[in-house]
Amino acid sequence: MKARILLALLVLALPRIAMAADGSWVLQQSTVTYHVSHKLHEVDGVSRAARGKGVCHEGQCDFLIAVAVKSFDSGDSNRDLHMLQVTRGAQFPMVTVRTHVAEADSQSANIRADLEVQFAGVTAEYKQVPFQLVRQGSALRLTGIIPATLADFKIEPPTLLTMPVKNEIPIRVDVSWQQQ
Amino acid sequence: MKVREMKIFLGVGVLIISMALATPLVAQVRSCAVVGTVTDAQGAVLPNAKLSVHNLDTGESTSAQTDSAGNYKVEKLTPGAYEVSIAADGLATRVIAVTLTGETPQKVNATLSALQSKPRSAVQGTPQAQTPNAQLPDAPASQRTEPSLGDLGITPEQEKGSAAQQALLDKRTHMLKVHQRLGLITTLPLIATVIASADAGGKSTSSTGRNVHMVLGSTTATMYFTTAYFAIRAPKISGTETRGPIRLHKALAWVHGPGMILTPILGAMAYSQRNNGEKVHGIASAHGAVAGVTAAAYGAAILSVSLKF
Repeated sequence: MKARILLALLVLALPRIAMAADGSWVLQQSTVTYHVSHKLHEVDGVSRAARGKGVCHEGQCDFLIAVAVKSFDSGDSNRDLHMLQVTRGAQFPMVTVRTHVAEADSQSANIRADLEVQFAGVTAEYKQVPFQLVRQGSALRLTGIIPATLADFKIEPPTLLTMPVKNEIPIRVDVSWQQQ
Repeated sequence: MKVREMKIFLGVGVLIISMALATPLVAQVRSCAVVGTVTDAQGAVLPNAKLSVHNLDTGESTSAQTDSAGNYKVEKLTPGAYEVSIAADGLATRVIAVTLTGETPQKVNATLSALQSKPRSAVQGTPQAQTPNAQLPDAPASQRTEPSLGDLGITPEQEKGSAAQQALLDKRTHMLKVHQRLGLITTLPLIATVIASADAGGKSTSSTGRNVHMVLGSTTATMYFTTAYFAIRAPKISGTETRGPIRLHKALAWVHGPGMILTPILGAMAYSQRNNGEKVHGIASAHGAVAGVTAAAYGAAILSVSLKF
């Protein structure tokens, strides 16, 4: 009888144990794109060199994504060097994004996350940023747009023909995570 | 007569406007200096501390280092708002804002403290961004181990920046900005020279028209070579492959550069022939064509980096 009770308790506890089990995620593929608007130009700078890891513990996961500032390519080397200078990329070479989400959220198609972004020597927070999740086998594809601005990171707007670019620099994130 | 006078006034006006616009970009009096002593929290002087004096208006940066007594002096600075960044191994970087106005050296002493346990304390934050990780929304009790940059395979060398490299980039950007603005301003005397050429050759026998054209052309050439100087002397960044529209911009320089040398030479020859009462002949007769190609290449060079094709 006691054995049966114990067995029943164990069966009931199994899902919870599984959910609370520690695990990790590794970034498999990434496309991070910044967008800059100017009266004469619309520019997209793309990086596919992001690295990331997620560590899960007791149903909560901490994620870190890092990408080198100089890995962004806008199609013009002169513009990329200017971008590197204006974002203080030689002094602060990495852009990092930290967030933590509930592991259970990985089952949802849409989530909202609070992000801590460190860029150009400044840390900025973005609250409740919407992301879309798509399961692709054992991988999880996450897409979304971080509503960043130049002012958030104290970056002086670059100019072309004496006209400055817009303050808004939305960053599109398209990343695929593999659970380990 | 009246038309000729108007052209003279127009030419002189363009000349004055061009010089007025160009002068502030280049002629800045460097009469300010910043001096000081760098010490640690215990009051001991810090030799070989690295300094970067960054002009917030122009983006220009000047590097320096403290001597064996912990003293430094940075001279030949233009008046304006600066950030003095002071760093030493194992100590937290200090950034001090200072405004330089007069010729008396501004004294800026600094005391560097030991690094906090979280090296990112040197990072500035927006008011809303000062929240430590533990206070972020939904943060559970900190039993978790957050991933670090080391977990991603990023070495401390990759994470660590280079103030010297940033200073080089700042200087490059500053010089290319001057190049860009001077290049745009140079189009004014260039266009005026082309307009004035109508009265300088052909059947016109007036020396006034030739003189106006010559003065405008000389102004154009002077501003052109000043513009070119800032592009040529801007620091090159090693390991960078030239890609995109900038390639066309640089290639066109091989057309308008030699053209801007040849055009005044041929123009001087033509000028001399006309002053001698001769008809322009020989190689001097190519002055107009060479000038036209030069002007067209110059305009195309500006468009190549202005518009998206």
